[in-house]
Amino acid sequence: MNTLVPERADRPASRARRPGPGLAARARRRQTVVAYLFLAPTLLFFAVFLALPLGFALLLSMSRWAGFDLGDIRPVGLDNFTGLFARGSTFLTPVLTNTLLFALGTVAVALAGAVLVATCIDRLRFQGLWRTLYFLPMVTTVVAVGNVWKYMYEPGGLVNGVLNALGLGSVAFLQDPHTALPAVVVVQAWASAGSAILVLTAGLKSIPRSYYEAAELDGAGAATVFRKITLPLLRPSLLFVCVTQFLTGLQSFALITVMTKGGPGDATAVAALEMYRQAFSYGDWGTASAAAFVLFVVVLVITLAQLWVFRRRGEDT
Amino acid sequence: MSRRRHGVPWVSYLLVVSGAVLMVVPFLDMVMTSFKGPGESGKLPYRFLPEGFGFGNYRAALDQLDLPVLFRNSVTATALITGSVLLTSSLAGYALAKLRFPGRDFVFRLVLATMMFPPFLFFVPHFLILVHWPLAGGNDLLGRGGAGLTVSIVALVMPFLVNGFGIFLMRQFMVSVPDEILEAARLDGAGEFTLWWRIVLPQTKPVLVTLALLTFVDSWNEYIWALLISTADPDVMTLPVGIQLLQDYIDPTRTMPVVMAGLVLSILPVLVLFLLLQKHYIRGVMLSGLK
Repeated sequence: MNTLVPERADRPASRARRPGPGLAARARRRQTVVAYLFLAPTLLFFAVFLALPLGFALLLSMSRWAGFDLGDIRPVGLDNFTGLFARGSTFLTPVLTNTLLFALGTVAVALAGAVLVATCIDRLRFQGLWRTLYFLPMVTTVVAVGNVWKYMYEPGGLVNGVLNALGLGSVAFLQDPHTALPAVVVVQAWASAGSAILVLTAGLKSIPRSYYEAAELDGAGAATVFRKITLPLLRPSLLFVCVTQFLTGLQSFALITVMTKGGPGDATAVAALEMYRQAFSYGDWGTASAAAFVLFVVVLVITLAQLWVFRRRGEDT
Repeated sequence: MSRRRHGVPWVSYLLVVSGAVLMVVPFLDMVMTSFKGPGESGKLPYRFLPEGFGFGNYRAALDQLDLPVLFRNSVTATALITGSVLLTSSLAGYALAKLRFPGRDFVFRLVLATMMFPPFLFFVPHFLILVHWPLAGGNDLLGRGGAGLTVSIVALVMPFLVNGFGIFLMRQFMVSVPDEILEAARLDGAGEFTLWWRIVLPQTKPVLVTLALLTFVDSWNEYIWALLISTADPDVMTLPVGIQLLQDYIDPTRTMPVVMAGLVLSILPVLVLFLLLQKHYIRGVMLSGLK
């Protein structure tokens, strides 16, 4: 770095030697060309795999198409959308309701656990070790996570083994429509708590120690400190965790595919899974695309609502 | 110490340790089950430790699955995706961080926007684009007649070759490379490609490692798209899809230990890599939260 200082000092002299402003303009133009060359692969990709699919999905959502010949796309206006919300359609209940419950449950469980663990880890030794352990599920396939838990929920599995050892009766977690969704929620929360903990620990580290020392001088208790200092200053990290986990929760279906395939009955059928089935099992690509857009709007509205609530609270306090 | 007042440390220890046990126990159960005998799993009362200890389930899993092929597909796909994401992200990141050109803000916003779109919105159209890819897999110029790219490993990796988050991450770090160094090199007659390769890339090596790890783990574990593509072409089946088939087609009450052995084999490579390089990986996740 130091070697650059003298060069910088004599730069005006070298600039004066340049022959006129035409060169600067040419350099600028060259930089534009180079920039777009650097961006070319990315922009080409976005055009083919982002812009084109969005347009096509929109077209399909207003058509009837069985998924073979592109010439067979028949426009049907908003029929697919009205079909989704028609009486007797399973889209609103239970599918969309399940989706919301799944996302809400996951965020609630994962966030509560993560806040608790992150604030505790912050005071302990071997922080790296704890973070690594909590992070293990994040580097594991959904297939592994889903199958292990599915196995643990079985009558002869670990969870029922623990229940039995405590003198309680076995529960058919994934076979009972009442317990299936909560059981899957627990797994998703278990799998995603690790990343929430990491983000929250990073947030906690950025809170100045002096705030806590000042609060202590004023004689504030642990609960007050947590409520008045930790929580408000942790808001950006909390917002990030909330928004991203909600997004994943509303869109996730790999775990459910692996664990329950939407069953028993429709007990764990979520929107993304239904969409996948409509397209690839029933060949109803129009309905699938329409469902995708409805879910997209739901996701967008919920995300914006969270951003709005967090920002408004930020101004109040 | 000032911390004493904010809570008794042993309560924290109790909480964190019992939470950590909760995180690890499913993995231990997986490993234990993978060593159990055929009649042992699912037997009541439940026993954590295997009675007889043997590698028979691993042998059975290897017999049931064409593991070398699954492995080869997973490795190929992951390598292609990781390589492409690193290349495209660092190129685009450099342009967005260090070059001045009209439309820069628009492109940057576009990159941010791509992170918001839900992936399921694209499953259907991506599949269709690949089926109707012109002049591939027996298709004509208009993309009709054949299977397009769906019956090749290209299909497996195609939708993941560029990653908005990767570009964002690279840009954020390249911004902090001092402009003075670049200016000096430019005056010496170095082209932008040289600057990118010789100056900026070496400086951002830690972030490249982080991005490589994040991408590696994501693509190694990808399931839904891989399932879709290997339904069209079983030759490009990846490890997660293969293991799931094992679970779907074998009677689970009798061969659960075999499935668990397969799972252990499938997650082992990533687990080892993660434990070796966890510092970089964890930093990457922390960084993503701080944007």
